[in-house]
Amino acid sequence: MAEYLYLHVPFCRHICYYCDFTHVAYTKNKADEWLEAVEKELSLKRINPCLKTIYIGGGTPTSLSKDQLEHLFRILKPYSANVQEYTIEINPETFDKDKAGCLKAYGVNRASIGFQTSDPGLLKAIGRNHSYEDVKKTMVLLKEHGIRNISLDLMYSLPGQTMEMLRKSVEDALALSPTHMSLYSLLVEENTVFGRRGIEPLDEETEADMYEWICEKLEREGFHQYEISNFSLEGKESLHNQAYWKYDDFYGIGCGASGKENHIRYDNTKSLSLYLKDPLIKEEIPLNTKDEMFEMAMMGLRLKQGMDLNCFTERFGIHFEEAFAGKMERLLEKGWLKIEKGHISCTKESFGILNTILIELMD
Amino acid sequence: MDQKHIRNFCIIAHIDHGKSTLADRILEMTESVSERDMKAQLLDDMDLERERGITIKLNAVRLKYRARNGEEYIFNLIDTPGHVDFTYEVSRSLAACEGAVLVVDSTQGVQAQTLANTYLALDNDLEIIPVINKVDMNNAQPDMTKREIEEIVGLDCEDAPLISARNGTNVEEVLEQIVQKIPAPEGDDTAPLQALVFDSFYDPYRGVIALVRIRQGKLKVGDKIRFMATGAEYEVLEVGVRTPAEVKVNELSCGDVGWFAASIKSIQDVRVGDTVTNKERPADQPLEGYRKLNPMVYCGLYPSDAAKYGDLRDALDKLQLNDASLQYEAETSQALGFGFRCGFLGLLHMDVVQERLEREYNLDLICTAPSVIYHVYMTDGTKLEIDNPAKMPDASKISRVEEPFVKASIMVPDTYIGAVMELCQNKRGIYKSMEVIDAGRNSLVYEMPLSEIIFDFFDKLKSCSKGYASLDYELIGYRKDELVRMDILLNGEPVDALSVIIHRSDAYARGSAITVKLKELIPKQQFEIPVQAAVGGKVIARTNIKSLRKNVLAKCYGGDISRKKKLLEKQKEGKKRMKEVGAVVIPQEAFMSVLSMGDDRK
Repeated sequence: MAEYLYLHVPFCRHICYYCDFTHVAYTKNKADEWLEAVEKELSLKRINPCLKTIYIGGGTPTSLSKDQLEHLFRILKPYSANVQEYTIEINPETFDKDKAGCLKAYGVNRASIGFQTSDPGLLKAIGRNHSYEDVKKTMVLLKEHGIRNISLDLMYSLPGQTMEMLRKSVEDALALSPTHMSLYSLLVEENTVFGRRGIEPLDEETEADMYEWICEKLEREGFHQYEISNFSLEGKESLHNQAYWKYDDFYGIGCGASGKENHIRYDNTKSLSLYLKDPLIKEEIPLNTKDEMFEMAMMGLRLKQGMDLNCFTERFGIHFEEAFAGKMERLLEKGWLKIEKGHISCTKESFGILNTILIELMD
Repeated sequence: MDQKHIRNFCIIAHIDHGKSTLADRILEMTESVSERDMKAQLLDDMDLERERGITIKLNAVRLKYRARNGEEYIFNLIDTPGHVDFTYEVSRSLAACEGAVLVVDSTQGVQAQTLANTYLALDNDLEIIPVINKVDMNNAQPDMTKREIEEIVGLDCEDAPLISARNGTNVEEVLEQIVQKIPAPEGDDTAPLQALVFDSFYDPYRGVIALVRIRQGKLKVGDKIRFMATGAEYEVLEVGVRTPAEVKVNELSCGDVGWFAASIKSIQDVRVGDTVTNKERPADQPLEGYRKLNPMVYCGLYPSDAAKYGDLRDALDKLQLNDASLQYEAETSQALGFGFRCGFLGLLHMDVVQERLEREYNLDLICTAPSVIYHVYMTDGTKLEIDNPAKMPDASKISRVEEPFVKASIMVPDTYIGAVMELCQNKRGIYKSMEVIDAGRNSLVYEMPLSEIIFDFFDKLKSCSKGYASLDYELIGYRKDELVRMDILLNGEPVDALSVIIHRSDAYARGSAITVKLKELIPKQQFEIPVQAAVGGKVIARTNIKSLRKNVLAKCYGGDISRKKKLLEKQKEGKKRMKEVGAVVIPQEAFMSVLSMGDDRK
């Protein structure tokens, strides 16, 4: 049984220009109906009552009203007794003292804040309606309510962003003393405002320079890089996200969520109206062993420590080297992959070109 | 149907003058095709033809037409391509006809291929019916077009029908003139069989199907036949005509155009241009075949996946069946492995063959840049014919190199003469003459190296004349010039498939243009790759492809896997059309980049 649960809140007060997750404009009535549907979905699925982590993402979870948030936590209560890591994504635009109190009351112990950048011009240019000050206030509120494990999401390679602007953003973020940071380069997806406007990220050289600087800077500041885009203080790595990278099963709850259970990956319907009619409508993708072996490598190699070779053998009854015979030798020889302490991982040089490696591993 | 009521004809025209549209109208008006089956460009049944709006393969159909005199006639319409590259196909279809309908666009007048195709038809003793098309257009000038045909082509246009093939106006008049002016086929029904094979194709169930024109005698099911050139003998299993759907008949008699199948599995047995006769009662002589056209342009074709070499050979064998002008022989490249050096009639022909191989035979190909045949005279007195730049010997052993020259005739309106002349000069053209055809139009004649024409001359000509200039060319012989081989080195290693033969004076400009282009095209790899151009071992241009630093998905969580995997699959797919040469991965386009002139910056 899966031990991790992701819940997707599809509502937003504003749409960010780069976002291609399932999102719909928040209205009170729709959100109320949605809560009922979530309740129904949870009761129809047999959810493991001993979950290790819960992650509420979006969309914008905090676009819900305080009462609605409380409703949501109540629904999740039967499954959260043993949860070690209970995360919610927070948009500083829609956060206040009441909501902070609510998080505390229901045992949420980790927050992930959309910081993106501290530059007011850039924030506006990517469709964010908050300021650096708002993030600061949010952090204070959270800490006042005992939530000290806080992650900040930053973006780089944004159109118009200079190295100098990035440095300032990272310094500003560090000044707030988060315990965890995720730094993502902009990826322009087709069905986003940016996609439709034909916006492009910065050139590869600048992006690579930024990435290199980020990795070095955060390392100096005591944040070790444990995944391609994720950095944390010792012991503050995200348990929930590591489950994805270790290719464990997880529940996906809510309109637009995805999950993986018993060799089936599923995407819940992205249409809110369909979801409200029947929250179990989903598209299922059965995974064969070949898919799973590749995907486990695809996810595992994102981790600095790499993929656990024993885990792979246990799961598939075949050694990784055998499963990817012919390809593995080449990649080891080129120095793109290395085997250490029972894990296979990228080298320092190849971490940034993981796609190139994965394509080699593909058939 | 008796022989007197048969009319075998084709339609000839400059490209885009409305040949296929007229064929469509004729098909409709002769009630051979129901409206339901009617789709635009019915005779162009290759997807490629309909997409590009051109006719590549000839196609024959039998139609019934009741004329105004009340009698019923059989029309055999043989469609022909209009592009200069496919002159060979045209000559094949002409040999199966007694007459030709010459379509001229009244908004454009006589063009280069109008002339070329008319002369081909006259060479074959065909009766020609000029037809003035597109008279419904605002800018139509039917009277001037008639006068042009009379003055330039020399055909009487007194009765030429003024038609609109698009809306059907006056097309019936064309049909009547076919009945009245084109002679019925001659030949003796009772004489020994002589049937000219003018096309063939491969059917996976019935073997080779041959399209024939019966010159004398009869061909029927059960006949034992012999191909006179190859000597192969078969028993005829099916005989039929196309309407355009295939319809089986009992026999084809003198004057008929149709097809037969004889369970022919060996592709080599059937040659277009051969004569089929009856084994028991053979004809004394075969019919005069076709003049075999020699390829003018060569390139290397290699499977992206080396394991597909056999598939490529099979595909070429089958394609050659109905494209006899395609030539090929096995070759090996250090960089690309096993493949074929193929000869084509021109660039469009090359393009079409490549695309057909990829579409109809599902192959991923790597094609090297086209080249002409060079005559290389060695210091020891021997002469070599080089169709692959990589095979050009060391300069110290060469006494001289000759390249093919053509006479290029270009028809161009006044406004664009300057631009066209400048283009020709840049392509090492030698000015010969300029004639005024009529008010506003001229015929320019240049002598130019064929190699310059095959590169990008045609596209350049169209763009510098806004599409108004038209080109025809013919080979006039070989001439000596300062020609050298330029090698391209990637990561310090020469890549044979990227070598190119150029004029010495162009070496620096071309060398830097090519290296810059390659830098754009070759995907970054994990190390820096020097790109160099060298002549005679001396590097004349150099640039570097920077190393790849970042190619990774920034975000990939549980819910992203399917989508992100598709992204990777797309990258993987792109790699299929690339070839690993040493440590460098080279995409297909890179092999064409050696044609870069450095002047195509937009």
